[in-house]
Amino acid sequence: MNQNLFASFNIPAILGIPLVILIIMLPATFITPTNNLINNRFSSLQQWLIQLMLKQMMITHSTKGRTWSLMLMALITFIALNNLLGLTPYAFTPTTQLSMNLGMAIPLWAATVLMGLRFKTKLALAHFLPQGTPVPLIPMLIIIETISLFIQPVALAVRLTANITAGHLLMHLLGDTTLTLMSIYLSSSTITIIIIILLITLELGVALIQAYVFTLLVSLYLHDNS
Amino acid sequence: MKTTKNFYLARPVSGHLAPALTDSPIRGHRNAKIAVWNSADHAVPSGTFCCRHSGPLSEECSLPRSRTLGPVTERNALKSPNGQDFNRVLQATRTFHTEQPHLAPVPPLPEYGGKVRHGLIPEEFFQYLYPKTGVTGPYVLGTGLILYALSKEIYVITGETITGLAVIGLYIFGVKKFGPSVAAFADKLNEQKLAQLEEAKQASIKQIQDAVDMEKAQQALVQKRHYLFDVQRNNIALALEVTYRERLHRVYKEVKNRLDYHISVQNMMRRKEQEHMINWVEKHVVQSISAQQVLNIFDVLTLYLYL
Repeated sequence: MNQNLFASFNIPAILGIPLVILIIMLPATFITPTNNLINNRFSSLQQWLIQLMLKQMMITHSTKGRTWSLMLMALITFIALNNLLGLTPYAFTPTTQLSMNLGMAIPLWAATVLMGLRFKTKLALAHFLPQGTPVPLIPMLIIIETISLFIQPVALAVRLTANITAGHLLMHLLGDTTLTLMSIYLSSSTITIIIIILLITLELGVALIQAYVFTLLVSLYLHDNS
Repeated sequence: MKTTKNFYLARPVSGHLAPALTDSPIRGHRNAKIAVWNSADHAVPSGTFCCRHSGPLSEECSLPRSRTLGPVTERNALKSPNGQDFNRVLQATRTFHTEQPHLAPVPPLPEYGGKVRHGLIPEEFFQYLYPKTGVTGPYVLGTGLILYALSKEIYVITGETITGLAVIGLYIFGVKKFGPSVAAFADKLNEQKLAQLEEAKQASIKQIQDAVDMEKAQQALVQKRHYLFDVQRNNIALALEVTYRERLHRVYKEVKNRLDYHISVQNMMRRKEQEHMINWVEKHVVQSISAQQVLNIFDVLTLYLYL
């Protein structure tokens, strides 16, 4: 039994040496680039998936926006693989750490904003005022839009952290519940096992969706500012 | 300072193009002439990458590049010991002994992975234990290890165990249910790529076959061209004949016309003479009949009536 419920979110360390770098680098070892035309099934599926995501996401962008393709594809693959690997038992999920998610969100968001301000200053500043607002509301609306702009990176990071952490927490709770219930009242533990199975299915979906949402929002900011 | 001699192996793209490109009968890899590129001609400082100073496209760069780029000057002419010019070889040359050797050419990857039992344990492990412990040996070993870990609390059953069991159970269920269809989909992806290339190849073959067939048909037609000429010749002969006969007929008609004219003139003259003669005879007969003779004739006629 863990000391407390959040012990599984501690950074794993061996004799005080943190292993988090190795854990973050692990998903990259699952993506195997090849030079062949015909690969094995695993590589073919990876290629097909990445092509699908690429077409889905980058089709609305201009040529300038499409220079971000590699970045965005790497981002979604990284987040999706990290989330999925975190579902295995005893695994540590790096995306539960707010530090990492902020480290991903702030540079990407700042890059899109600065790019927009540099190349299309007027258009970027015009985003602060939606069309057709009544004149007395303008000062308040600009303040609100500025706040909403500065909250974007924080929202990106916190959204991802909260979703994944909540899912993992629920799974731990339910696991502990089932274990405790097994010695008290066996049949309700079967109910909790069923709940766990449903939750895992949900978690799979959440893992993929969060990755998608993150990348989609970054691409949206890019589209606004490219 | 030792100047290293870099040996370059020129590899033509395909065997049948090689003689056209290099003017030499190259039969295969083994017999390809090795070009010696004397580095004294090129002043490469030993032990450094020249591209760092001058860039990859400069004249001093000794890294391989496609020989179709850039002008072929006398300075960077790539000649073999037999004087063959390798400047028009299509592929970049491969350098030897400039760095640690690669394990190349890499042997081809096997088509299927090693056999695994229960998705985790290689088959070789079971074969390894078979002579000593038979079929159930590895299973007994596994069960013993698991029970040992559990009983000694090396592995502690926590809430994570339940969650882990649920995750692994779900995973196995997913693989068993969707595995074959996903594998078939992956195979289909590869098959589509191959089919595209096959299609291109077949289209090319068909095009060439059609061209060959058309050529053959046209050659056959050429053999039968004399029929056309015969027909044309016959046509012309007929036309000439018709013209000749037409003209002959016209000549005949003209001549007949003229002769008919003479004949009709003669006829007319004869008729006119006849009529004239008849009129003259009649006139004189009538003249010669006098009044006395008219009365004498009446007497004779009445006599005859009384008889």
